[in-house]
Amino acid sequence: MKPLLENNLPAIACRNLRTDYQSTLKRPILNGIDIQINHGEFVALLGLNGAGKSTFLRSLVGLVPVNQGEIQICGTKVDREHIGEVRKNVGFLFQGGGLVDQLSCLDNVLCGCLGELTTWQSLWGFPKRDRRVAMQLLQKLGLQEQIYQKAKQLSGGQRQRVAIARTLIQSPHILLADEPTTGLDVSGIKQVMSNLQEMHRQGLTVVVVLHDLALAAQYAQRAIILEDGKVWYDGDCQNIERQFAQLQFTQLQGEMQGKSQFQSAQAA
Amino acid sequence: MKFLDQIRSHTSKIIPNQNQVWIIRGLVIIGLGWAYIWSLQGLKIDPKLIQTSLPYMTDFLSRLWPPDLSIFDVAVKALIETVQMSLWGTTIGAILSIPIALLSARNLSPLWLRSLASLFQNAVRSVPSIILGLFFVAATGLGAPAGTLALGIYTIGYLAKFYQEAIESVDKRSLESLQVSRASWWQIAQYGVMPQVLPLCLGYTLYMFEYNIRAASVLGVVGAGGIGFELVNYIRGFEYNKAMTMMLVLLVVVTIIDILSSQLRNKFKAD
Repeated sequence: MKPLLENNLPAIACRNLRTDYQSTLKRPILNGIDIQINHGEFVALLGLNGAGKSTFLRSLVGLVPVNQGEIQICGTKVDREHIGEVRKNVGFLFQGGGLVDQLSCLDNVLCGCLGELTTWQSLWGFPKRDRRVAMQLLQKLGLQEQIYQKAKQLSGGQRQRVAIARTLIQSPHILLADEPTTGLDVSGIKQVMSNLQEMHRQGLTVVVVLHDLALAAQYAQRAIILEDGKVWYDGDCQNIERQFAQLQFTQLQGEMQGKSQFQSAQAA
Repeated sequence: MKFLDQIRSHTSKIIPNQNQVWIIRGLVIIGLGWAYIWSLQGLKIDPKLIQTSLPYMTDFLSRLWPPDLSIFDVAVKALIETVQMSLWGTTIGAILSIPIALLSARNLSPLWLRSLASLFQNAVRSVPSIILGLFFVAATGLGAPAGTLALGIYTIGYLAKFYQEAIESVDKRSLESLQVSRASWWQIAQYGVMPQVLPLCLGYTLYMFEYNIRAASVLGVVGAGGIGFELVNYIRGFEYNKAMTMMLVLLVVVTIIDILSSQLRNKFKAD
């Protein structure tokens, strides 16, 4: 793994982040987000469906265009010009793994090296050195028997571990994980979260989107709750259940208000 | 209960009741019936005409039997030429379809390029194979080369569309994960798009090869080579028994190729 950046710049810094207006939501998905995450933090990103968690994570690696505001990753601005440099520092775990089903586990992991190879170098396969590293990573993650198996033959937990190996081969400073435990059984969830914890121990900054408050409290140091595209809560994980209950209460109040307005409009 | 009543009164305003549904269904059936009657009148099909033409049809069919096996070698030779035409026509078409499909795919190309490529696809698809056959016969003369080129162009109209749909059905997240790994456009195509679309595209290409054998038989009618050329000559010369031999040989070969290619297609699907 690469040594941590020696400057004092935060790992992730976002200022007044806004995306395009969504007519279905009647607001932008991200509606003025200010977040700063320092190197070495383990952050759980929480919120109800449609709060903007995945969009926020995707915007950090330039997969979602940002309309207003600024994102900096390790001091580098996320824009068209610097996106290659930004992605060099970031690994991304997609929900379900984001693997190519028809490729073997080994080839899927090796795909993480593509950015380091020219098109010509990767045209006829991958260098021996990279293959060796990929095999070691798969072995370390307990997938030695699945090295040559096609990704579509794997279970949900195994897929996510292959995706972790693909991320690790890039030696990133920051790991962004978008609902990595969705659809996994209890042992799969435990394995994936332990892997993330191990990566955090080795110095990686981890930002993970979760729906399970207990998991967030168990593994993360800091919780950020998003609501309506804004930061609702940013603090330690001990408080999150109370924060969530408050959030739901506020939402319910809003719905009741909306309903009474609808009824009075009907009566009129 | 009061709340439920409110919901019912609200939903009844936006959801049609059962009677309205039946009226709409009835109107659709009446509309369809009218369309069929209108089309029949436009075609001027007279049931009496079918009745009087029945003896002519049976007479034509009876003259086909028994097949004249003395031209078996001619039939086999013409059929081999047809398969060769289909093989090369499909291959030329498949190769030319790849760039057109890439340029037409929603997940790979910008809107302006997509629109241009789709327009080209539609233009090629709207030209009947027989017109392409006539065009290439005029350009290269009678025989198999004209038919092969006609099949090649005809194939683009269909395979480019099939390939495009295969590319568009690629899992978006798998491509994004390669994008985040800083893979180049070509690397994404090689390691993300190709492994996912190749089994589908091979299946479509095999289907097109099968279809082109039948299409090549039709092209022979305008002198573009293959079994159709011999077939139409025998029919024009009232040698129906020889024409029957040609059709039987074609039936056997098409059936064998159909069985083999559907087995191969199933294998590709499993991969």
